Parts: sequence; structure tokens; C-alpha cells
Amino acid sequence: MLRVSDLHARVEEQEILRGVNLEVKAGEVHAVMGPNGSGKSTLAQVLAGREDYEVTAGSLELDGEDLQEMAPEERAHAGLFLAFQYPVEIPGVGNSYFLKAAVNATRKARGEQELDAMDFLQLLRERAKLVDVDEALLRRPVNEGFSGGEKKRNEILQMAVLEPRLAVLDETDSGLDIDALKTVAAGVNALRNEDRAFVVITHYQRLLNYIVPDHVHVLLDGRIVRSGGSGLAHELEAKGYAGFNGGPAAA
Amino acid sequence: MTTTADTRTTPYLDLFARRGERSGEAESVRTRRREAIERFEAAGFPGRGNEEWRQTNIAPLLRAAVTEASSRAIEGQQAKRFLYPGCDRLVFVNGRFAPECSSAPEEVNAASLADLPAAGRVADVVAEHLGATVDGRASCSADAGVHPFAALNTALFDDGAVVEIPDGAVVERPIQVLWLSSPVEESGSVDRVEFSFPRLLVVAGENSQASIIETFASTGTGTAGYFVCPAGEFICRPGAVLHHTRLQADGKDAFHLGFQHAHLERSALFDSSSLAFGGGLVRNDAVALLDGEGSHCTLDGLYVVAGSQFVDNHMRVEHRQPHTTSHQLYKGVLDDRARSVFNGRIYVHKAAQKTDAKQTNRNLLLSKAALANSNPQLEIFADDVRCTHGSTIGRLDEDALFYLRARGLPRNEAYGMLVYAFARELVEKASFEPLRLRASLNGGPGGGGSR
Ligand SMILES: Nc1ncnc2c1ncn2[C@@H]1O[C@H](COP(=O)(O)OP(=O)(O)OP(=O)(O)O)[C@@H](O)[C@H]1O
Ligand SMILES: [Mg+2]
Repeated sequence: MLRVSDLHARVEEQEILRGVNLEVKAGEVHAVMGPNGSGKSTLAQVLAGREDYEVTAGSLELDGEDLQEMAPEERAHAGLFLAFQYPVEIPGVGNSYFLKAAVNATRKARGEQELDAMDFLQLLRERAKLVDVDEALLRRPVNEGFSGGEKKRNEILQMAVLEPRLAVLDETDSGLDIDALKTVAAGVNALRNEDRAFVVITHYQRLLNYIVPDHVHVLLDGRIVRSGGSGLAHELEAKGYAGFNGGPAAA
Repeated sequence: MTTTADTRTTPYLDLFARRGERSGEAESVRTRRREAIERFEAAGFPGRGNEEWRQTNIAPLLRAAVTEASSRAIEGQQAKRFLYPGCDRLVFVNGRFAPECSSAPEEVNAASLADLPAAGRVADVVAEHLGATVDGRASCSADAGVHPFAALNTALFDDGAVVEIPDGAVVERPIQVLWLSSPVEESGSVDRVEFSFPRLLVVAGENSQASIIETFASTGTGTAGYFVCPAGEFICRPGAVLHHTRLQADGKDAFHLGFQHAHLERSALFDSSSLAFGGGLVRNDAVALLDGEGSHCTLDGLYVVAGSQFVDNHMRVEHRQPHTTSHQLYKGVLDDRARSVFNGRIYVHKAAQKTDAKQTNRNLLLSKAALANSNPQLEIFADDVRCTHGSTIGRLDEDALFYLRARGLPRNEAYGMLVYAFARELVEKASFEPLRLRASLNGGPGGGGSR
């Protein structure tokens, strides 16, 4: 489904991704772990099409289509979803109004019938319940004044409503207490199926107890220096990243 | 001051001379007209040296060959698209009353200034107030000087509306005053500009309550330019509550130089919203004189401009009495090469202790070439007051734009959503016909940009 080959990317003259290779198949959950500043969010943002990051080499493909040729909204229409590490506050735009516009923009782009107000409301209520988002948050402006946890849950709500094929979750677990973490994991697990894939970026093994990954990758200094099964996460938790310093991609 | 004759004033001075005295006009009004033309003649058009007009380039207007707009009949259909449902209405075309399109409000005394009853309430109100505030009491701060266009309007208005709200009346239906310009559509003579001087006098009686909606628009579709130079006076007697909305949707090549003056007596409230979308060269001077203890005014505004539009809001709020409050919130959305000026002057007289004045101007620039100027001016002569002001000039939040696009909203839609979010509180305040305003935001200037 997703194929990232030898990806190099830079921001403001600084090379951050230095040859990332990643292949994600439908139905899989991949975890990407790595210390602060290793380039995890950069990878996520490049996937979503943020223009501040310049891809200098390599390729990105979603279902065989070149992502680099696509605008951010086209990537979303193709089924890519990014849960932001830092969700953006948008004063003046109501949360449910925004979500309806997003759903219908996507449906329109796919040539599907747009949802009317009633059908959308039903969908929204159902998904809000699934990820335990208070209906009061739906009436407020997008993320404005939300607590850290509310913002993260709002990201998961958006994911649940938009039903992406590939969801990239950038530290959706950070700042969540254990109950909220379980709710988020339950939301993700409810959406797991053989057509859908997840890339879960995290610092902690904790989340991976609830969302059990098929593959774990260690990103260090802009490269994936090691890949393995879910056991790798436990190893990292115990030993830290020290052993991987500057090591070659082959493990 | 004697200067060599300024030929650019000639068409206006000639018109005044040609008209002569108007039969049936009150002596007081005649006098004010005479004084006004003298003031205008002495001051001339403001040049670069005039601090109040430094940032307003009126040269294109002064270059144009001007002539008085002729009376023109329009079809009801042409007015209809600008009329709001549920309002009583007074419709003017080229500054002249169009009774066939109008429906006189019942609970108030309203009349066309060109067709005043010889005696009675309305005649008395006009004799007492018309032109008295704009050119008389208004210049209470020593250096306010002559407003040349307000003076021109007083001297030359041909018609207009007077609305008197009786003491204690609570008028439920808003009164819409529609000022339509109907320019001659001639091809190839863009430099010929017809002018009109709409005049409005509203006197809100003691403890009365009413809502006035002014709309400026054009029946024209082409490039015909015109010059509309309106003046409005709002007298709020003790305890009056007057809501005012001013929607300016003139043609894109129009010159619109307007003046409005509110005079507030004890415990009166004047709440005015200005929405400016149209016109090429636009200036609106709004003055509020808080002349009674406990009076409050709100002056809000939204301007949305694109292309080479220029819009200038010149505010002057004077606190003359204790315990007076004023709130100003002006927001601008500028695209392309559009430019704006916000000049917000708050003047607190020595006697006006416990004044509470707040002024905010926020600008959203949608293009690199757009330019917003914001000049707050506080002059405070009392010592126990609270005055705050703030102004911002910013660009669209790229993070927010990316966030919306990453959720599937096409760039244009995301763009329009953020612009609307910025302007929203002011659009929604003008609660009638929000959809029409929204359309003019999203589809019109400033909306759906492609940058
Ligand atoms: N817009 C930017 N401008 C300048 N530097 C940037 C920008 N974005 C990221 N960087 C730099 O790139 C490097 C990688 O950042 P990135 O956010 O991808 O790391 P991360 O792995 O997500 O870290 P964290 O775990 O703290 O979220 C850091 O050194 C960061 O300072
Ligand atoms: Mg990060």
C-alpha cells in the first residue's frame, strides 16, 4: 500500500531524512520509534504533503501512485490520514462544521454522494461515542482551547469519521492518561481491518501494549536503523536507543 | 486664506450658485448650506499637507470630469435585489427619493427631504438638526477642522431622508434606507463621473428604540464610475437605543466618500456596524460624540477588498462626559493590491472621567502586495479612564491551511473557510441575510483566492 524508498528530505537547508525505506502492506500496523529530533514528524508531514519540507531524493507511493504529484487534499482523498502531533487550533470554525466539510469534500472528490445534515450527524454521533468524545466539543471551534488529551481524541475522531486507508498517527499517545490511551487504542483497533493500514509514531512501548504492531522500526538521525517485530519495542523500552547510535540501516 | 481659484471645485460651486435658494427650505438649513459652501470654498480639496487626508489619495476623483447625477427612474426589480425582507424601506436613486419602491414605516415620522411638509414634527426636526451636528457641534475638538466632503454634502444635497422616532417608541421592523446609484452606462467615457449627495437625518427620541439599515449599491453592471458622497446624522436623545448597519456594496469603480456623525445624549446607545465590500476609492469617516453621561457607542466594521480597491475608515470617538463607553472593532480582509487605512482616534475630554474606550483593528492580508495601515490615536485629558487599543496585521495561518487540506478540503475551500472564520463575528452581528454576506465573502473579493 505504502512504499517509501530512499527518501531524503530537508527543511531550511537542513537535511533531516537521509534515506528512509518503509513498506506498509494493507492490514498491517507499523510502529516507528526514535528519539526526539530523529525525523519522525518530518516523515509524517512529508507523507501528508507539507510544502515546507523539500524532498530531495527518493520516492513515495500510495497504492502505486506517486504521492509527490499530489496536493495534500488529494492525498487525503486517496485515503491518507495524518493525526498531527500538534493539532492546530482554528478559531471561528466549528468542529462539526469542519468535519462535515471534510467528509463531503472527500466524498465529492471520489464521485460519491455527499452526506446531508441528518446522515452526517448520525455518523458523527456514532463515531464520537466510539472514541469517547464529548458532544460539547463538536460544537466548539476546532481544537480551540481543547486540552492536550481532547485534541488527541479529536484527531482520532476525525480519523474515525474519515475512514482512511492509511492512517499515520504522530505521537497520538503523548499527553494521554491511561484511560484516554485505552480509548484511543480502542478507536484504532475498531478500525483495523485487512484493507487498512496504520503507521503509529510513538516514544513509548506503552501504546503498543494496546495497539499491537506487526512491525517496529527505529528511526535515528533520519534513517531507519533497525526493523523487527513487536518484541523490538520491548527491547527499546529496556535498553533505550544507545545501542543504535549511528549504526547502519542493516541490523 | 485666499488661494488661486481651484478649478476642481468649480463644478460644485457652480451647481450651488445655479440652484439658488430652495423654496420652502427652513431658514436655518439655508444658513447652514451657505456656511458649508463657504467653508468648502475656503478649504478646497484636501492636499497632501492635510494630515487627516495624508493617506487618502483622492487625485483620481479630482482628475475626473464630474457632473450632477440626473434623476433616473428604475424598475422595481433593480431595487428588489438589495432589499431585505421584513423591513420598511426608503429607496433613493441617485440621491432622490423613489416613492414607488418605498414603504413608509408607520410608527415613525419619515419624509423625503425634498418633499417636506410645511409644518409639523418632521419640519421642526429638520430645521433644528439638519446640518447642525455635522458642521457645528462636531468640531468640538479644536483641530477637527473642516471635512470638505461633509461640507459639500450639506451645501449640495438635493434630497435624502429624515426619520424621527418618537419618544418612547419601540420600532420592531428595521428601516432600510437604500441608496442606489444608477450611473449612465457609456462605453469609453470612464472619466465622466456623476455625483450624488445622499443625506440622512435620524433623530431617535427619548427612550426610543429602532434599527436603521443603510445600503449603498449600484444598478450598474459596467465600468461606469460614479461618485457618491453621503452624510448621515444620528441624534440619540436621552435613553435612546439606535442600531445602525451600513452595507456598502458600490460598483468597483465608484468613489465613495462618506461621513457619519452620531450625537449621543445621556444614557443613549448607538450601535453601528459598517460592512464595506464595494467601491474603488472608499473613505468613511465615522464620528461619535458621547455627549451625555452614561452613553455608549459601538462602532464595528468589516472591509473586504481586492483588486486595486482602497478603503479608508477614519474614526473619531469623543468622550465628553463621565461614565461613557465606546467599543470599536474593525477587521479587514485584503487581497491582490488592495490597500486600507484605519485611523482610530479616541479623544477623552477632561470632564470625561471613568471613560472606558476600547479599540481594535485586525487585518488579514491574503497577498504579498496588499497593504494595511493602522493608526490608533489616543488623546486623553482625563486621569481616571480606561483606554485600550490594539492593532494587528497578519497573514493567513499556513498551519491551519495545511491542517484543513490534510483533512481533504480543497485549497480554495480551506482558504474561504479561514477567511470567513476571521470575519465571522462581524458578519454574524449583521444578523439579517447572513447568507448574502457570506456569499459576498466567499465568492467575492478576498474569497477563494488561489494563492
Ligand atoms: N520547520 C522546521 N524548521 C526547522 N527545523 C525543523 C523544522 N521541522 C523540523 N525541524 C528539525 O528537524 C529535526 C527533526 O524534527 P522532527 O519533528 O521530525 O523530529 P521528531 O522525531 O518528530 O521529534 P519529536 O520526538 O520531538 O517529536 C529536528 O532537529 C527539528 O528541529
Ligand atoms: Mg515529532
